[in-house]
Amino acid sequence: MNKKIFIDPLIDNNPISRQVLGICSALAVTVKLEQALVMTLALTFVVTMSNVIISMLRNYIPSSIRIIVQLTVISTLVTLIDKALAAYMYDLSKSLSVFIALIVTNCIVMGRADGFAMQNNIKDSFLDGLGNGLGYGMMLILVAFFRELFGFGTVFDYRIFPETFNNGLMILAPGAFIILGLIIWVQRSITSFVEE
Amino acid sequence: MKNKYIFILSLTFLSSLLLSLFSEGLKEKTLFNKELDKKKNLLQTIGIDTKVMNSEEIIKSFKDNIIEVTLDTDGNVYSNINHNQFEVIEDNTTGELTYYVNGIEYLPAFSSTTMNAFILPISGKGLWSSLYGYFAIDNKNYSTVKGITFYQHGETPGLGAEITKDWFKSSFIGKEIYSDNNIKSILVSKAGQADENNSYEVNGISGATITSRGVEVLLKRDLLRYENYFRNNK
Repeated sequence: MNKKIFIDPLIDNNPISRQVLGICSALAVTVKLEQALVMTLALTFVVTMSNVIISMLRNYIPSSIRIIVQLTVISTLVTLIDKALAAYMYDLSKSLSVFIALIVTNCIVMGRADGFAMQNNIKDSFLDGLGNGLGYGMMLILVAFFRELFGFGTVFDYRIFPETFNNGLMILAPGAFIILGLIIWVQRSITSFVEE
Repeated sequence: MKNKYIFILSLTFLSSLLLSLFSEGLKEKTLFNKELDKKKNLLQTIGIDTKVMNSEEIIKSFKDNIIEVTLDTDGNVYSNINHNQFEVIEDNTTGELTYYVNGIEYLPAFSSTTMNAFILPISGKGLWSSLYGYFAIDNKNYSTVKGITFYQHGETPGLGAEITKDWFKSSFIGKEIYSDNNIKSILVSKAGQADENNSYEVNGISGATITSRGVEVLLKRDLLRYENYFRNNK
């Protein structure tokens, strides 16, 4: 049972490719692998911690203000990450800061807090958060891999194709739409899942 | 009913306490990073590659290559005024920065004898945000461009944010801000429409016309403020 909570959001119930949540940031921060990786770590931290905290408080949170409570917890965590990045990884924080702040509005985080952590124990909520964070991250890294490779000709800034190789389509937004669309298509034709 | 208020009050109190402690604890490190980033950008404008340097090397290279200069609006040099004495005022509509000490306006600048460059801070509006950066020119003819960088902006990644990319920055190098003894500054044309042979024209950014135009406007305005100094020293 526990294992399923963690494994499920990785592939079968992936928040991006299956539920199509968190698309906005998935399109925005997938130009380079390094950004995608930091975003993955940041979101995984936020969704896991917020799940744990909400789950700890679940029996005390008055239900009429539960959304406000969830938002307070999430935005506190996001601000912590933002400050930590500015102190320890300044260059990355300069290019990611606006997206990090937007984790607050990422529907995966709120969705898991309200949809899962409010009803489940701490251990399960932790696993659910971790699974969803990593499921989101996997997609991000997959998309970023193709965009960086075909856009700049590099992987983690390590050159694969010659310097002259440069594809603006992949670097700009359409590249993300195309790659993400292809991934969703491939996954759905394998699992033969159809939206009801 | 009462519980609700006590709950949310204590939660917000706890989270603000946590955040302020965290923020205060990291303040020094963040400020240090900001200063270091400015130094890095200054070094890049005069053509020093900082990509492989660690923070100590950047600070050392800055000390070796760059000195602060303070001018008044007539172009006279004041060696007794440091940049950290300035009171900085930003014009919210144009993004122009003005610098005062005891109510008198001064102009900050940097000089590099090792790289033969004169560097001035530049700032102005892009599409969404203010752009802050540095612009370096030759310190003999005060016309040939040595480099340009932007260390802070909030433009769209892939579009306006291209101002920080090498292709855009390097297109300024070697251009002339003077033509026919007047400061013509640098024209940022529409993407792909600049006349390559023209000594005062560079290509703008495709899809970011307003940011490109912003760069053109801020450059001309800020360069004209230093015109007296250029004339006295040419």
